[in-house]
Amino acid sequence: MNCETCQLKELVLEPPEIREVLRCILHTILFHRALGLVRPKDVECELFDITYVQCEDHELEKKIDEKINQFIGWVEKHPNRKSQVCISFYEVKNKHATWFGNKIERFYWEQWYINLHIISPKPHGKSHNTKAHVVTGENAFEGSNSRCAALESSLREVLFQIIKFVNEKKDHIPPLQNSEIVSFPYEISTPR
Amino acid sequence: MATPSESDRTEQIITLFLHKALHAVLASRIPHLHLSAPRPASASARDRWFHLALGDLPAQIGHHGAVMDPLVVDILLTPRGDTDDPTGSPEAVVERWTAQCVPPSPWSAAAPHHPHDGSWHRKTYKKSIILLRSLYALLRLLPAHRIFRLLCSSSQPYNYDLSYRISSFVAPFSRAEEAELKQYSFAPVETLFGQLVVSVQHRPSLANFNLEVSSIPPMIITDYVGSPAADPMRPFPSSLPERVSRPIMHQYPPTGIRTSAAPSFDRPHSWNSTPLAHHPLSSASGAPVSEIGFLLPDHYGHLVPNQRPMGERKGSSGYNELKLSPPLSTSASPSPPTRGGDSPQSRFHLETAPVSIPTGKSQHRSPNLSDPFKSLLPPPSPRSTRADPYCQESPLRSRSFRKSEGSNLGDVCSNVHIYAAHKGHKDGRDDSGRFSALSSGGSPRYGFSRSSSRLSIQDDLDDGDFSYPFAVDDVDTSDSQARSFDGKEAPEDTLSHKSPEYGSSHKSQEAEVGILVHMLKTAAPLRQGQGSLLSSESNAEVSMSSSVMSRKTCDALEELQSYKELKNLLLSKSKSGSLDSVKQRRE
Repeated sequence: MNCETCQLKELVLEPPEIREVLRCILHTILFHRALGLVRPKDVECELFDITYVQCEDHELEKKIDEKINQFIGWVEKHPNRKSQVCISFYEVKNKHATWFGNKIERFYWEQWYINLHIISPKPHGKSHNTKAHVVTGENAFEGSNSRCAALESSLREVLFQIIKFVNEKKDHIPPLQNSEIVSFPYEISTPR
Repeated sequence: MATPSESDRTEQIITLFLHKALHAVLASRIPHLHLSAPRPASASARDRWFHLALGDLPAQIGHHGAVMDPLVVDILLTPRGDTDDPTGSPEAVVERWTAQCVPPSPWSAAAPHHPHDGSWHRKTYKKSIILLRSLYALLRLLPAHRIFRLLCSSSQPYNYDLSYRISSFVAPFSRAEEAELKQYSFAPVETLFGQLVVSVQHRPSLANFNLEVSSIPPMIITDYVGSPAADPMRPFPSSLPERVSRPIMHQYPPTGIRTSAAPSFDRPHSWNSTPLAHHPLSSASGAPVSEIGFLLPDHYGHLVPNQRPMGERKGSSGYNELKLSPPLSTSASPSPPTRGGDSPQSRFHLETAPVSIPTGKSQHRSPNLSDPFKSLLPPPSPRSTRADPYCQESPLRSRSFRKSEGSNLGDVCSNVHIYAAHKGHKDGRDDSGRFSALSSGGSPRYGFSRSSSRLSIQDDLDDGDFSYPFAVDDVDTSDSQARSFDGKEAPEDTLSHKSPEYGSSHKSQEAEVGILVHMLKTAAPLRQGQGSLLSSESNAEVSMSSSVMSRKTCDALEELQSYKELKNLLLSKSKSGSLDSVKQRRE
């Protein structure tokens, strides 16, 4: 069984936007891979005019929020860097009993790479000229708005990319064993 | 070759997928379906299909075509407000969702390999799950979803609304329309019968539609009558906009607004408050008369109006009798339908409303004449079989009401001809049987028409206690014995028999009045449609009553003659006695 890999479009964002962006992307991916019985829940982004879908599963939400907090902590220590958040789906196979314990082998059948470029907001330059300072502030505001609009557009593109990928690649997905299990086993990896 | 179970399973998957896809689209685009869709705590068996619990759609919404028929769902942006406004924009298709199972083309070189281990439908099912998830997610990324969210979340109406159209085959878009649309197609899912394909054509931007809060002015009820302030007991119409486009159901409309559901509203107006003021038995109270007058329109609300003259109605049912009532009014327009059933509000209003009976035009009556008949009915007869709160009288009460009603009915205009719409309506008999002919649920007892000056009333056949409205016990108690017969007499026949009897004897004016009163008191109701046997019985009763009356009159006349003779005798004796005394004195 081959492992399908999807590299998502890079997103340029600021630290306050990390949580919202990652939640949107991770939940969208999991909604397409948590093939057990789910009751979908619409979530409207606070920062963007985007609605994404969550599986109403508390364990899923809790695990995602933990990983996001972990990533935000790493970003605070390493600002202005490009990074990746990876979500992988695997199967557990071949438990080999050894002298040292049971060896659990994972066979990853799909991996998603969320490429992020975290930029720190530029501080406004000090100016003795009041008018210039106001103009600079207005330009920064407009620049921020355009950046947000661009981020929203990029995020929307990423979501479309996810939908396209999950539809084109289906043969590698393992068979469904039990509808009561919400999702295939997965793991979210963040930089350390 | 696929096994029959594989085929059945595949067909089931395709059919349910189309239904689920339709559900997902409508629940994400149509506000009222989204808001009204129940979300039970546990998914039903059908809802568990494709592992996506969406709740339940209304049963009538679904894909009802064959498994291979395409499902086409158009999402329309429909302008609200005045649809007749030529300047308004027409409805526009903002999205067209298409889902169908496309059979493989016969000339395709590479035929899909279907394993024969029965796992094909499981794979199909798994891929259908993913396809449905993608469809669900894409619905939230398209521009129309923003409008849907706006309409769902806002309490105010907007100038546009989202609607849908489901079909199997639609005309394709024109080139110009297609140029404005973007298409997105999901990767097809291989099935036993072909490829399951889902695609959407959508407008990339809806900025052209100026979505804003609706500026439609408040609907004005042009035929509004009265107000709750004037009549606090009367319920105010609950939904004003609904009443603009259709007649006001709970009010009598003004002139010009008519419905065809009831006869003329003007009939009650023909009851003048003092039409027979000159009548010795008339009383000053007009309330019962007005009540009776008010009785009619409500019952008319239950009838189909028919303006046929009274003459054609003889022998017809009580409902038909009511149809004859419009001749009373000069206006041919029917009164509006009113609610059936008892209503204390109507009673309150009717009992307090003054009575005026103009000719021609309708009156503004209580808008809530749900059952004014019931509310104004006298206490019912003991034979009332209905659980009518008003029909709870004793014979004694009925008699007292009878008396008052009779005295008030004496005020009825002389040109009012009251017919008793008898016709064996047993359900109508549960009312008091007086002027409560037009009970809420039963047949009417009385019809009103404009004809002669005679008043003829037919009582409830089964109610022997009640005879006529003009019963005045304190005036003529000797007639009480005749009442038991009178209730079954045809008043017209009685009158026709009586007139030659009276014409032969010399009578003073007072006697004439007394005779007339007696005639009225003992007038039998009209019998219509009772059959020949009943009519013959009524004729016999009429003749008997007329002979009884004749005998009484004759007796009275004889008695008068005897008194005269006695008087003359006494006078003569007194004279002779006085002459003898004078002679004795002289001697």
